[in-house]
Amino acid sequence: MKVAGALLVAIVVAALLLPPLLPWGYAAIDWNAVRAPAFSPGHLLGTDSVGRDLLARTLAGTRVTLAVATAAALVALVIGTAWGATAGWFGGRIDEAMMRVVDALYALPFMFVVIVLMVVFGRSVLLVFLGIGAVEWLTMARVVRGQVLALRNRPFILASEAAGAPARAILTGHILPNIASVAIAYLMLTVPQVVMVESFLSFLGLGVQEPLTSLGILVHDGADDMDIAPLTLIVPGFVLVATVVCLNRLGEGLRARMAR
Amino acid sequence: MLAILLRRLATALPTLLAVILLSFVLMRTAPGSPFDSERPLDAATRAAMDRTYGLDQPLIVQLGRYLGNVLQGDFGPSLVYKDFTVSGLIAQGLPVSLTLGGLALILAAALGIAGGILGALRPGGWLDRWIGFKSAVAVALPSFVTGPLLVLVFGLWLSWLPVSGLDSAAAWILPVLALATPTAGAVAKLTRTGLAEAMVQDHVRTARARGLSPLTVLVRHALPPALIPVVSYLGPAAAGLLTGAVVIETVFGLPGLGRYFVQGALNRDYPLVLGVVILYAGLILLFNLIADLLYGLLDPRARG
Repeated sequence: MKVAGALLVAIVVAALLLPPLLPWGYAAIDWNAVRAPAFSPGHLLGTDSVGRDLLARTLAGTRVTLAVATAAALVALVIGTAWGATAGWFGGRIDEAMMRVVDALYALPFMFVVIVLMVVFGRSVLLVFLGIGAVEWLTMARVVRGQVLALRNRPFILASEAAGAPARAILTGHILPNIASVAIAYLMLTVPQVVMVESFLSFLGLGVQEPLTSLGILVHDGADDMDIAPLTLIVPGFVLVATVVCLNRLGEGLRARMAR
Repeated sequence: MLAILLRRLATALPTLLAVILLSFVLMRTAPGSPFDSERPLDAATRAAMDRTYGLDQPLIVQLGRYLGNVLQGDFGPSLVYKDFTVSGLIAQGLPVSLTLGGLALILAAALGIAGGILGALRPGGWLDRWIGFKSAVAVALPSFVTGPLLVLVFGLWLSWLPVSGLDSAAAWILPVLALATPTAGAVAKLTRTGLAEAMVQDHVRTARARGLSPLTVLVRHALPPALIPVVSYLGPAAAGLLTGAVVIETVFGLPGLGRYFVQGALNRDYPLVLGVVILYAGLILLFNLIADLLYGLLDPRARG
């Protein structure tokens, strides 16, 4: 978990702080260095098929991928918590109906729903993360509902109910603080999933669009050019896999710690 | 068993219907039309086209007609692949996709269960930690990274295996391997956790105390309950393999359903996308159903 955390922090810090220090921007074209090999002057990792710096592009792509993933995971957190807390709080028929909806949605081919959304509403970054967030909230809803259900009959909740506190006050004052740690652990586990979905969509040309770049687009471009410049595939692919592995490790570690 | 089947069907069928409704309405209310192009059609041609494809009718009439046709296995004409019906394209692509997905599922189950067993034999040992690390990485290896990498190493650098098309049996190796990797990792993890839990349970201890051989204890007594989480993972795994197949077919140039789906999505070929989504949803629901039935076989308590 420590190694994973350190590597993740390194990736995030590099993606956020390093780009301004590089001699070339992620969209700038160096006509004198098309498909330059690694360690060329000015291009530490070489350039792609039109002479753009691979390191700068990978960092920019990582930034976009992580930004989309964080935003989408937050959307999932909000929807999932609201849905799960409502179901768990009211219980009974409402709970059953709401969870039946979640079960039904679980059985759906998510990726295809997102793709249909992309096809229908055009491809924009905003929509990418809204769409992904809208389908990734299910696990969160289940987890939160379970937590709320367990808290529902604890003495301190019953006491504040008996004291006449309104439901809204109990939910925000007692329930939310108690489920926050578990919700955050699952938030950490949602981020890598969203990273995968975003990269998948971008790889197919249905997600983030040029001139913006993301790890999925870079892997796609790299795959097209790998026989001549293999690094253009290997570098973004490695960053993507490393990011997802680290996030998964951290999330699982957090979950194990929070589960008590 | 029949009761479970009926109960599950009672949720699965409305879900499928909801998918059809939702994607149909989304598709039809979308801005833009498949007949949009750089040179706009004149009004008369446009009206004639709309009439031919029934697009001038009210939405509810279109929906009713579409549902009726789908029930008869007719998903309408493809708007982009002229002279092809969507059903025809599906009939061409489905066998390739099913073979790809089926082989990957078998490989993933074999590798994953074997890995999980090996890891659980000595929890915390070097083999367990090594397999644990491998499966954590495998889960994070999306097919669109593994696919091109395998092509690069085994196709281009070593020239051992073909990199695209389906001209020989060897051509299946790389796509199936790339597709199976993440599922195998997940299965290994589930098996490992399930088996470690099962190994310390009373019925396994009893079986050991009766002097049964370690192999019998493992296969007859510990493995069935340990495989329950793996079986419930079958539904999500099928979904993962189908989505993965979309990428794999694009990367390796296989004439499967996924490629038509992506092309259809990029070209706004509504009937094609709709048909494939309905088919995928049906397949995934079917796999969830099979998983529920297998669940009953493995866990007598769930038969009720």
